[in-house]
Amino acid sequence: MAHYNFDSEANAKKHFITAMETKFGKEWGSNQQADDIQATTTKYLRLGTAQNPRKMEMAKVGAEITKKRGLQAYDPLLHLAGIPLGQRQLTPYTLGGTDIVVDGDDLHYVNNAAMQQEWDDIRRTCVVGMDLAHETLEKRLGKEVTPESINYYLEVLNHAMPGAAIVQEMMVETHPAMVDDCYVKIFTGDDALKDELDPQFVIDIEKMFRPDHAAQIKAGIGKGTFQAVHIPTVVSRTADGGQTSRWMAMQVGMSFISSYHMCAGEAAVADLAFTAKHAGLVEMSEMLPARRARGPNEPGGLSFGHMCDIVQTSRKFRDDPCKIALETCGAAMMLYDQIWLGGYMSGGVGFTQYATSAYTNNTVDDNLYADTEYGWDTYGTGIGDCKEPSIDIIRDMGTWGALYGLELYENYPTALEDHFGGSQRATVISTATGAATAITTGNSNAGLSAWYLSMYLHKEAHGRLGFFGYDLQDQCGATNVFSYQSDEGLLAEMRGPNYPNYAMNVGHQGGYTTVCTGGYTGRGDGFAINPLVKTCFADDLMNFDFVEVRECFGKGALREFDRCAGERAFVIPAK
Amino acid sequence: MAYKPQYYPGNTIIAENRRNHMSNNVQKVREISDEDLTACLGHRAPGSDYPSTHPPLAEMGEPDCPVRQMVTPTPGTAAGDRIRYVQWADSMYNAPAVPYWRSYHAAINYRGVDPGTLSGRQVVEARERDMEAIAKEQMETDMTCPGLAGIRGATVHGHSCRLQEDGVMFDMIDRRRLEGDVIIQDKDQVGVPLDRKVNLGKPMTPEEAAKKTTFYRVGNVAYRDDPEAIEWCQKVWELRTIYGYQPK
Repeated sequence: MAHYNFDSEANAKKHFITAMETKFGKEWGSNQQADDIQATTTKYLRLGTAQNPRKMEMAKVGAEITKKRGLQAYDPLLHLAGIPLGQRQLTPYTLGGTDIVVDGDDLHYVNNAAMQQEWDDIRRTCVVGMDLAHETLEKRLGKEVTPESINYYLEVLNHAMPGAAIVQEMMVETHPAMVDDCYVKIFTGDDALKDELDPQFVIDIEKMFRPDHAAQIKAGIGKGTFQAVHIPTVVSRTADGGQTSRWMAMQVGMSFISSYHMCAGEAAVADLAFTAKHAGLVEMSEMLPARRARGPNEPGGLSFGHMCDIVQTSRKFRDDPCKIALETCGAAMMLYDQIWLGGYMSGGVGFTQYATSAYTNNTVDDNLYADTEYGWDTYGTGIGDCKEPSIDIIRDMGTWGALYGLELYENYPTALEDHFGGSQRATVISTATGAATAITTGNSNAGLSAWYLSMYLHKEAHGRLGFFGYDLQDQCGATNVFSYQSDEGLLAEMRGPNYPNYAMNVGHQGGYTTVCTGGYTGRGDGFAINPLVKTCFADDLMNFDFVEVRECFGKGALREFDRCAGERAFVIPAK
Repeated sequence: MAYKPQYYPGNTIIAENRRNHMSNNVQKVREISDEDLTACLGHRAPGSDYPSTHPPLAEMGEPDCPVRQMVTPTPGTAAGDRIRYVQWADSMYNAPAVPYWRSYHAAINYRGVDPGTLSGRQVVEARERDMEAIAKEQMETDMTCPGLAGIRGATVHGHSCRLQEDGVMFDMIDRRRLEGDVIIQDKDQVGVPLDRKVNLGKPMTPEEAAKKTTFYRVGNVAYRDDPEAIEWCQKVWELRTIYGYQPK
């Protein structure tokens, strides 16, 4: 298992071709396929599900379930009254930027533990400032706050946060085996304080980031001190994202009471609670409007900027903004398309297909590297050396990227067949075009603008775009790109899945996130919009790998992802 | 009400074909009987009456209304027909029609239509007999090649798939196929078997299709080879973008 950093368009193209040959030129299961990836015709063998071992496994298990419970379960022959999937060849998918080849079914989030963990790790996380609480302790209660007291508090908190009692006698507690993914670390821009804290609790910005990024992030954080809190996966799965800050605040309050020897009911506790629940709290996602009926830390409120900062690829691949954008693309597409739109909003299972096209077979990769190289070569730009955006640059890059992407599909019929829906193709091309424009200009809104031009050109060239929603969103989008009137436009990083007219369309939200990534990586910055979020996730103890996102998805698909949390195996009968 | 032909930019055969579709300047090239048409659509038994959702308008005692006086009902509306659909999948390998131009064709040239445009399919919903008139024109004219397009109510994928070895667009449920030198259809739009084989006519040769298509592609007429079409598109984008930027 390996992952690659393509570095150049030529390398990306090579891996795109390899992926296409793996998919269409080699037998997978018993699909008897060995096609020329540039031929416009093929022989459709109509082998059905029998050609694919995973499908056969599913059929076998479905039959067993039917027998065991006496009620119909999965049976592929129920598809189209006896015509099962697989009238075309059932082909595998190469995870972008890796050599991992998997079945499509294993990239559905239900079948992929790593994908689930990505969302678990975001939903169960919040950041809480310590400074207000320390002021309360010092000024109101006259307590002394020292590095030693902070260390002791963090010891207590890491005992309590998973659900342990701290000042109550005879309190029921969560079993550590059920909540071993829960912990709290601390980070600060104050080097003097950091040096006196117990390293086990510290996210050391200097160690986790390159020097220039570290300096930038520390300047953003200032002398403030923040806790990075990850409550147990099993808790946020059982409740919802809103539980994260509630759970955290309760345990933070108790830990302050215990470690600073406070009265459990004194009025100052309310100040600490208010700080933890509101004044000092940074959630990953904003609460949605009431009509969406979702609390905070649910994916619909996760801004594109925060999503950019959650992904950590920029810590290790600063010199390859395309790599950073592609890993972010994978993380965001999976979350926004499969889980948010596919799960929370629609309920459809087909959303997987939209997402999958954005992180498999190196197609976005080829487009993005090509578009970025065009921008850099044409405008003499590079990382941290961007060209101020203008209509002329956006028109040029938007057109170049759109035509490149369209012709890739025209030249590689297998790629066209892989991305069999226009929505997939539209997203792939616009994502790459927009992100490359953002990389070249260092401006995410310029990238968005190129996105919309790409959509227009795509629709005209092929006489089709996506499904109905693309007509709405992608035809009217150009007018809100540079509008800063509050109900019409916004900085791209501050937009999110519930932004007006972004709310209903698969394939877009992850793409917009990728464009935002292009903005900050093009500038060579260490974070997109929030240094607290970027630092909070700069932590190798996190279960999901936010650096090599697509490789992690691949491990999940291969059933080799071994950092799952929230499992119930400890408290249920062994199978 | 008469519509003037609509125009589209571009100096290539693709642009010309697009203008032809918009202006309904299409040529009848085959004959499909009413019974065969009805069978393929699958909404009612061939020869049966049109089911209705309301009595004929003339019998409904409609209120006195200036809009009703101005707008003459379509035949299907006047009769109270159900609203039914015809939905097409057109191959990206030079099928004569593309989804947007099917929609433009319907919206510009017919009344009482509700075209829906997607990437792999294009649907027109209308009162049943009105829809049948459109479907008949679509099937009988050179805006359709029976080998590169087909009516599909469900399981529509095929538009982006490689062609079969015989040059016919892939259809998972095999509603139609090449037999001899013609395409026959023996299942309706949603794949229910028919009691007949409907002859849809000869498929276009690749050379014919390349001349008739409204699809830009490398190997035929690439989009980049029609700069006027691109510049027009860029202009629309630029005007919309600038309009949205009003820092007042």
